[in-house]
Amino acid sequence: MIKAQQKPIAEIKALIAPYHRILILGCGTCVTISFAGGEKEVGLLASSLRIASAMEGQDKIFAEATVQRQCEWEFIDAVAEQIQQADAVLSLACGIGVQALAERYPDKVVLPGVNTTFLGMAVEHGVLVERCRACGDCILGLTGGVCPIARCAKNLLNGPCGGSQNGKCEVNPELDCAWQLIYDRLARLGQLDRLAALMPYKDWSKDYDGGPRKIVREDLRL
Amino acid sequence: MSNLSDRSTLPAEPLPPCQVACPAHTDVRGYIHAIARGDFEEAYRIAREPNPLPYICGKVCAHPCETECRRGDVDEPVAICALKRFATEQHDLSKGHAPGLTVAEPKEEKVAIVGSGPGGLTAAHDLARMGYKVTVFEAYPKVGGMMQYGIPLYRLPRETIDLETAPLKDLGVEFVTNQRVTDVDALLADGYKAVFLAVGSHVGRKLRIPNADLPDVWLNTEFLRRVALGEKIDLRGRHVLVLGGGNVAIDVARTALRLGAAEVSMTCLESCTTQPAHPWEIKEAVEEGVQMFHDRTFKEIVAENGKVKGVRCVKVNFRGFLPTGAPDMDEFPETEHVLPADLVIFAIGQGPDLSFLPQDGSIAQTPRRTIQVNPVTLATTKPGVFAGGDAVTGVGFIIDAIAAGHRAARSIDAYLRGLDPASVQPPEPQKLNDLQQKTISHIRHLKREEMPMLDVNQRKFTFDEVYLGYTEAQAIRAAHRCLTCGAGARVEETKCIACLTCVRVCPYEVPLLARGTANVPVDQCQACGICATECPAKAISMKLYSDEDMIKQIRDAVRKAKYNGEPAIVGFACRYCAYAGEDANVVKASLPANVQTIDVLCTGKVDALYLLKAFEFGADGVFVAGCLEGECHNDKGNVHAAKRVAYVKGLLDELALGNARLEMFHMSPDQCANMAEVVSTLITKVKELGPSPVRRS
Ligand SMILES: Cc1cc2nc3c(=O)[nH]c(=O)nc-3n(C[C@H](O)[C@H](O)[C@H](O)COP(=O)(O)OP(=O)(O)OC[C@H]3O[C@@H](n4cnc5c(N)ncnc54)[C@H](O)[C@@H]3O)c2cc1C
Ligand code: SF4
Ligand code: SF4
Ligand code: SF4
Repeated sequence: MIKAQQKPIAEIKALIAPYHRILILGCGTCVTISFAGGEKEVGLLASSLRIASAMEGQDKIFAEATVQRQCEWEFIDAVAEQIQQADAVLSLACGIGVQALAERYPDKVVLPGVNTTFLGMAVEHGVLVERCRACGDCILGLTGGVCPIARCAKNLLNGPCGGSQNGKCEVNPELDCAWQLIYDRLARLGQLDRLAALMPYKDWSKDYDGGPRKIVREDLRL
Repeated sequence: MSNLSDRSTLPAEPLPPCQVACPAHTDVRGYIHAIARGDFEEAYRIAREPNPLPYICGKVCAHPCETECRRGDVDEPVAICALKRFATEQHDLSKGHAPGLTVAEPKEEKVAIVGSGPGGLTAAHDLARMGYKVTVFEAYPKVGGMMQYGIPLYRLPRETIDLETAPLKDLGVEFVTNQRVTDVDALLADGYKAVFLAVGSHVGRKLRIPNADLPDVWLNTEFLRRVALGEKIDLRGRHVLVLGGGNVAIDVARTALRLGAAEVSMTCLESCTTQPAHPWEIKEAVEEGVQMFHDRTFKEIVAENGKVKGVRCVKVNFRGFLPTGAPDMDEFPETEHVLPADLVIFAIGQGPDLSFLPQDGSIAQTPRRTIQVNPVTLATTKPGVFAGGDAVTGVGFIIDAIAAGHRAARSIDAYLRGLDPASVQPPEPQKLNDLQQKTISHIRHLKREEMPMLDVNQRKFTFDEVYLGYTEAQAIRAAHRCLTCGAGARVEETKCIACLTCVRVCPYEVPLLARGTANVPVDQCQACGICATECPAKAISMKLYSDEDMIKQIRDAVRKAKYNGEPAIVGFACRYCAYAGEDANVVKASLPANVQTIDVLCTGKVDALYLLKAFEFGADGVFVAGCLEGECHNDKGNVHAAKRVAYVKGLLDELALGNARLEMFHMSPDQCANMAEVVSTLITKVKELGPSPVRRS
């Protein structure tokens, strides 16, 4: 799922500084699971911002709401009235939700309250890690189910690099070397011979380099 | 909840086994939780609601609830009965015996109640509250039935009975004592529109064995009644043998001891493990010196010149009673022997005296010679006449008779309003399932508090009350043992996004994923609240408290803490540990007025939001007081709390409010009494930082 992290309060304070009535709008799906923008975080942020406002002798008004998914028109329309009443909407959704709001409410100021960080998972409660870069051309079938694009700091297709030491990455020794992981997996699967073949260059146009991507399913269109 | 008719609509959700086992379905969990929180008046209110005799029951209820209590699957049952007694002892009677209970407008109809035991008193209470004109007829000079003329004083002082019957007179119930009813039809002819027969089961029985009619062969009920009526019976130097092994037999034996008997022994068919008396009654009797002879049947009262010498017994392997009432057993050959005694008291059961029933059989009896009733409505075979309590069931318990009194009152009210009495009886409540083994394995063991008792050497010579009641600290510790069964977390399925947080954080392995959302099985949840505070979707609510209540309490606490220009400090103190062993009120009183505490049952319930809210409302400092790591009632509630404190400290720094304004105290039990001292460290730091710059307009 999409993982996100709340922005520092100082940054949020600066973003909302010009506005008086602010709707803090959470999203009930990915950012809730990543403990960044669900109903609970909306409450904590609202209280923090009320404290900040009072400390500065302001009387900003913070409203709170959370919708199931900010990336769907139907769900954001459910809070249309609250959005209309606000001078600005501080969205705690990922970048998709923020943009959905901006698109649906063209006259409304929409501000991001979180940094959308990566696609990943919780390996343990409270520890979220990146697993996928949405490159548009998945090669996990060739790499033993370990993604070198998302998990190798250099995105090497034919790793490891010379900096791989004791299974750790030279860029950040806290990180496992993705190519070591790939090697270990392939060894387990008895497929080490795959490493003998050179991985051909990747079609990066399917990644961000080809501009924003779009999927159209004609069979589903109404 | 103050309307009697509420009792006909018990909630459909499964109830804790204690509540189901209580014949009056007392909200045990509710009053124990109130004691645990320190709200003793609320505890009394809850205990009083379904029971017009809570003071009596707090002392002598047979407490079938404790046998069913799920704490018993972990270590030992919660001391439910002793806690009821504590609630009554804390109650301020100047607020009335039944605070909050309403009385309906007076009605014309008169109702007669025959017998003033717990069954009759309860029906009188309910019917009077419904507005009926109620007259209670009692054969003896005092009201109370077997409580007055059976239960010995050392277990139930008579002031307790007086205290509990006086409010009935205030309700307008008329008591006609020294009046044995001999003609039920005459009552109906006299204008009583309905009659409730609650005449008890007072006729003791003897076995038909040789010499059973000698003057020194007595009967249980008669003996106890004579003592209760104040007759001075001198048993000094006597050797008393009680035949029977039930609770009544124990009362007889212990009473005989107190009347000076030189030796008292008991003998019964049952073995030491199957003896029908409650184990604690047996233990107390043995402590006082009563000797037990088990596995015996009685053949003959041995006498010489009309003087009792003993009882000829034979050893048996008793297996129970056959449907015919005969004992199922084999006698062991050549085991005949005489248990010596010069006074024998039969205590082998008793039956009702039904000689007053109409001779025409219009009020039918069962083959067991009890009054025949419809078990749902308690209607007898004569229209308008109802019956309940021991007269119907044979000797039971006070609380059974109370339940029968409620049932009869509902039926009589329906009958008088032309309704079907069966239609007004509540359905039998559903019971929570047993605790699962893995959850049991995570529950902290807590020792049951011993009831303080009069010293055995002191008590066996007097009729002074044996049980002394819990101290406040004991009661609170005892209340903390309750698992608040069935009153825990609820998942709002439409909000749950199956993030698995609750599944991962629950210390008791309770939540599950079912059909795409989390589910907290109501049977298993221990109500620690950790999942509710951690759920990022706010999909979990707790039955016994809510964020709204807490936030309101926080607002009030901050307001109160603003005192005399001192820093306003708000603390969240765990009721389980922060006052360990101390009287919470004493600890609180030791705190300066600018320090206000909010009690929580486990710091695991303290949401990060509560900490922020305190600052938002203008607190200068906030603390959380829990126990040492590893000592938490809920395994890791205090660890979660400490992490939330650390998280909010980070936010306070980001807000430039200063993290030193917030502190988590892990207190050892000996620090608790000095909470004021512990908190003073926080006050010092807060003073250094100066008043909170959060000024609410
Ligand atoms: C020795 C002893 C100890 C007990 N200890 C306990 C205990 O610790 N805990 C517990 O829960 N239970 C105990 N019980 C059982 C409990 O006392 C009874 O189950 C309960 O009192 C039954 O209530 P009741 O209203 O049906 O009848 P009772 O309490 O027996 O009251 C019936 C009343 O009706 C009166 N009466 C009878 N006939 C007439 C008539 N014709 N006209 C007018 N009045 C009449 C009687 O005088 C009596 O006062 C004990 C019983 C005995 C005998
Ligand atoms: S633990 Fe508490 S709620 Fe559960 S059965 Fe025992 S007394 Fe009742
Ligand atoms: S923590 Fe909340 S959202 Fe997550 S699974 Fe449990 S109930 Fe659902
Ligand atoms: S309240 Fe506590 S015991 Fe109940 S499900 Fe939540 S975490 Fe588990």
